[in-house]
Amino acid sequence: MLRPERLRELSLVIIIFAVLLLFGTQIDNYFNPRFFRTITSGVMIIAVVVVGETLVILTRNIDLSVGSIVGCTAYTVGRIVADNNSISPLSLILIAIGMGALLGLLNGVLVSYGRVPAIVVTLGTLALFRGALVEFSGAKSVTTSTLPVWLNDLGQINLFSVGPFDFRILVVPAIVVVIVFQLVLSLLPYGRRLYAIGSNPEAARFAGMPARRIVMIAYVLCGALSGLAGFMFLARFGNLTVVAAQGMELQVVAAAVVGGVSTLGGSGTMVGALLGAILIEIIGDSLIRLRISEFWKDASLGVFILLAVASDKIILGRVRDIAARNQRRLEQTPTQVAPQPKAQKDSAHVQ
Amino acid sequence: MSSNRNWRFLLSWEGLLTFIVILVVLINIRLSPFFLHGDNLINLFGVSIEKIIVALVMTFIIINGEIDLSIASIMGLAASLAAWLTEHGMDFSLALVCSLLAGVVCGAINGFFVAYLEMPSLVVTLAGLIAYRGVARILLEDRSFTGIPPWYNDLGTQPILGQFPLSLLIFFALFVIAFIILHFSAFGRLVYVIGNNKDAALMSGVRVRRVKMTLFIASGIISALAGLLYVSRLGAVQASIAEGFELDIITIVLLGGVSIFGGTGTMVGVGLSILLILSLRNGMSLASVTGNTQSSIIGLILILSVLIPNLAQQANQAWKRRGYLSRPKEAPISKEGTL
Amino acid sequence: MTSQAKQLALEIRGISKRFDATQALDNVSLNLYAGEIHTLLGENGAGKSTLIKIMTGVQLPDQGEILLDGQPIRIENTAQAQHYGIAAIYQEPMTFPDLNVAENIFISHQHRGAIVNWPAMYKDAEDILSKLGVKLDVRSQARGLTLAAQQTLEIAKAISLKVRVLIMDEPTASLSAHEVLQLFNIVRTLRDQGVAILFISHRMDEVFQISDRITIFRDGKLISTDLANEVTPQSAIRDMVGREMGAFFVKDKSERGNLLLSVKDLAKEGVFTGVNFEIYQGEVLGFAGLVGAGRTDIALALFGAAPATGGEITFDGKAVTIQSPHQATQLGIAYVTEDRRGQGLVMPMSVAANMTLPMLRRYLNWLGLIRHRAENDTAEEYRKQLSIRAESIQLQASKLSGGNQQKVVLGKWLNTNPRLLILDEPTRGIDVGAKAEIHSIINKLAHQGMAIMMISSDLPEVLAMSDRILVMREGRQMGIFNREDATQETIITAAMGRANEVETAVK
Repeated sequence: MLRPERLRELSLVIIIFAVLLLFGTQIDNYFNPRFFRTITSGVMIIAVVVVGETLVILTRNIDLSVGSIVGCTAYTVGRIVADNNSISPLSLILIAIGMGALLGLLNGVLVSYGRVPAIVVTLGTLALFRGALVEFSGAKSVTTSTLPVWLNDLGQINLFSVGPFDFRILVVPAIVVVIVFQLVLSLLPYGRRLYAIGSNPEAARFAGMPARRIVMIAYVLCGALSGLAGFMFLARFGNLTVVAAQGMELQVVAAAVVGGVSTLGGSGTMVGALLGAILIEIIGDSLIRLRISEFWKDASLGVFILLAVASDKIILGRVRDIAARNQRRLEQTPTQVAPQPKAQKDSAHVQ
Repeated sequence: MSSNRNWRFLLSWEGLLTFIVILVVLINIRLSPFFLHGDNLINLFGVSIEKIIVALVMTFIIINGEIDLSIASIMGLAASLAAWLTEHGMDFSLALVCSLLAGVVCGAINGFFVAYLEMPSLVVTLAGLIAYRGVARILLEDRSFTGIPPWYNDLGTQPILGQFPLSLLIFFALFVIAFIILHFSAFGRLVYVIGNNKDAALMSGVRVRRVKMTLFIASGIISALAGLLYVSRLGAVQASIAEGFELDIITIVLLGGVSIFGGTGTMVGVGLSILLILSLRNGMSLASVTGNTQSSIIGLILILSVLIPNLAQQANQAWKRRGYLSRPKEAPISKEGTL
Repeated sequence: MTSQAKQLALEIRGISKRFDATQALDNVSLNLYAGEIHTLLGENGAGKSTLIKIMTGVQLPDQGEILLDGQPIRIENTAQAQHYGIAAIYQEPMTFPDLNVAENIFISHQHRGAIVNWPAMYKDAEDILSKLGVKLDVRSQARGLTLAAQQTLEIAKAISLKVRVLIMDEPTASLSAHEVLQLFNIVRTLRDQGVAILFISHRMDEVFQISDRITIFRDGKLISTDLANEVTPQSAIRDMVGREMGAFFVKDKSERGNLLLSVKDLAKEGVFTGVNFEIYQGEVLGFAGLVGAGRTDIALALFGAAPATGGEITFDGKAVTIQSPHQATQLGIAYVTEDRRGQGLVMPMSVAANMTLPMLRRYLNWLGLIRHRAENDTAEEYRKQLSIRAESIQLQASKLSGGNQQKVVLGKWLNTNPRLLILDEPTRGIDVGAKAEIHSIINKLAHQGMAIMMISSDLPEVLAMSDRILVMREGRQMGIFNREDATQETIITAAMGRANEVETAVK
């Protein structure tokens, strides 16, 4: 019997292939190297953020401020390196991560210790972070001409190629982040507690878990990953204004939800979230290439979220019912403690 | 959560709001003698009328235990649709009617998923936020539509009763209606009942789905109306019109003492909060604070409006616990007691 | 209790706790010994749950101390309680539906290594479960486990924590008789391993079946602690209530009127099938059976909350299909739910608002606005008629005691002038005095010609209050007994199916 989350991932893979096939028949020369590059470089940034968002959503919370955090760090780091070209890559990355973590900490403290609902906090900080950025930037832009050469090149470096398909070096952090955090979720006690808290917050409290600290750390990690994504954003685009990455939170939440991360908390995987991000990116870019209108991308994204959640509710609900029924059947079979061995005949039929 | 905020607390919350409103008005008067000028006061309402109208219906939705993040996108969609239809040769008045209908459709879509498929409204309306704006972009792409007939352009600012612009009249009328519906009608009672305990409502024969559906459709049509009013004031339509308005609107409602968990809140509180946000925005504009910084401050207020009562409550509880904690520690905690 | 020297597990000394006006606990002292099953008895509000909350660190006492191995300890949160080996199992199990069975068992282990060792965890979980004699797939999600299985999971969790004191707060309230037997076997196993068990139940028969010692609470005070074999049900009730209770209220003969409801081959896929019965006006039809036998599901089908998928319903001579509670209310069907808190009342709202909820449109003027005066008049009327003890009808429903809340729910439905009143566990969790009052109300309603369908797991109640008794087992109707023919034995036999198992349950 397949577990529900495995089923989800499998169906996403199938849908991705189906979508590729579908568009492949509609668009000439669909699978070209350029398309592959667009998809991978689009996904790699979203993927890093969506991993952080998943950590938060698992605890039955949400972070709508990730777009602003990515924008803030990308822009700030860009200005720092523009003013001081000799700064080392490593310290630049650390600054980005640290700044993101700090902003995430603010969210986390407000949600877990201030007990302000996540939607309120992050809707507020979404505006707060962006507004602060606009205020302090003096509306200047970061341009590639002011950036050091290594940073401008970073986005173009080829790690390796499979046939005509190039893998950019920036794909590495994305893959590493997804793998590391998937392992965190499935192997570390911290990851399991994220599931526990989202699954039943009250029981988590009764089990003596430090729920507040766990949620706060999830926000800090989400901020830190958004900071890393901010650095990648800078490396990819080079030219930034204060509205960089505005609205990214919508894509990120969409990717997580399409990837099977339940907004009610407690279920979802990093692999699923990554697949969700890939699916959304493929559909968005393919629609543009269909030459209907690039403006179809957003509308389709919204429809996708609805379809994903609705299908989750209807199909997975049924799968879970069947799983529950199997468990009950097992539970009803007699054991050595049952008073009468004959019990099997009657009780095995219960639902 | 909701039961913690009883009537007495609400009263004091509203008392606090009144106090702050007066404070902000006084500061504004000191900062700019222009504040009390008649034109400025009309401007005060005029520039935010769209948000205020939607805030009224949002109050119902949040008290009912749901949220609608798609309002700003419906505003944008309604405006863009009216523009697109006019571009394609339809009479402008007819286009307005069609746009209102589009608002109904958007609201009905939200309502269907929330009420009948029982999906969380946060996710549904987040999807709506993206999708409806997306449709607006499909319609107008990156064009700017300026072919609005002059009569409509004047509508928003035209004085009808003395000095009052039409939009202001609409607001006052809607506020009174919303107040009466929420606090004195059967529908308002059901909104509170469902916000407090949906299951008990359902098991008492209340048609919960119908109430929710009605609310989302109302939200859709009111948002569309607000979007069209906004057009009359701006004189031009772009696909990005009213983007980000949901922040201000939700802030107004929550600052008014409505719990995000549903079940509590009053229209009076929301009314006071409207006055407060408007005077603040107006004061900041007079002091030439930029729009983005204003949004920042509104975001901060949104957080603080929930954080402060929470902290007060926690302090109160800590005080109660202290009765025990402050006793002298007579014995060390034994670490040996575990197995 | 074994004959060997009793070893003190936990000592509670002079604990007091006050909430605003009420003294929840008044200088309570209690000793718990290793290897005993110690039962707390008392009406709701007697202070049992406050004591548990203090023992598990959910609340702090105003005065007094708790001693472990002679050392005073301070328990400020559940984690500390667990650290001292004190764990609690509640009526509603605290499981994590998205985690699998093994994880649920070991969730509180803070120090099981830096990395989750899944194979070892599965093995340990299987070991613990097999020690308890329970078979569960440790790899599958806890979602969908029966309540009984979730209770078992909680016990396994407690064992994994090497618990010394296990508190069980009404663990049997939602279990079937068979499941209770299994649970008790597990509990006895634990006792024999030296765990002190603090047990709470409102079911008298169970209490005398399992307890070694019994402590009785009344109004926050500890009244008595005695060996179980020195206590009789009568003396226990006297101590709990503070006076002698008269015999159980018995419904007197009411006149059977016209046929009101007849149900033919009613079925709901996977829940119940082949249900046939009639209810006449002025009659109480009792529904007996184990929890989960499908009784509530039939009620929900008749009330339209979970509509039936097959069969015919004839109400007042007309064939009807009932698709929603709204429609049922319109027909004149009222349903007093078993979940008073979750589905019966809107707790933060006033008694008056709750009372008029189903019939709100009766209180509207032509503008659709509520006539508060009429609403208040109705509420006052029912407050008098049902003698609801509330200072004011404007009081929040949450401020009332369980019995008075139940009367508000009753008033709410009587105000709809129902023709059929469905009562689901009308007296569960209600203290003895209020219980008798509710029984007398039911009696009166039947005399007024109302048709009443009463679901109850309280067998003496069903026998005393019903004219006829329908027995369900595993979603099937086992028969309808006339009151004269029904005894505890016949009902239980029908409900459980086998004579030998019945004996154990009755004993």
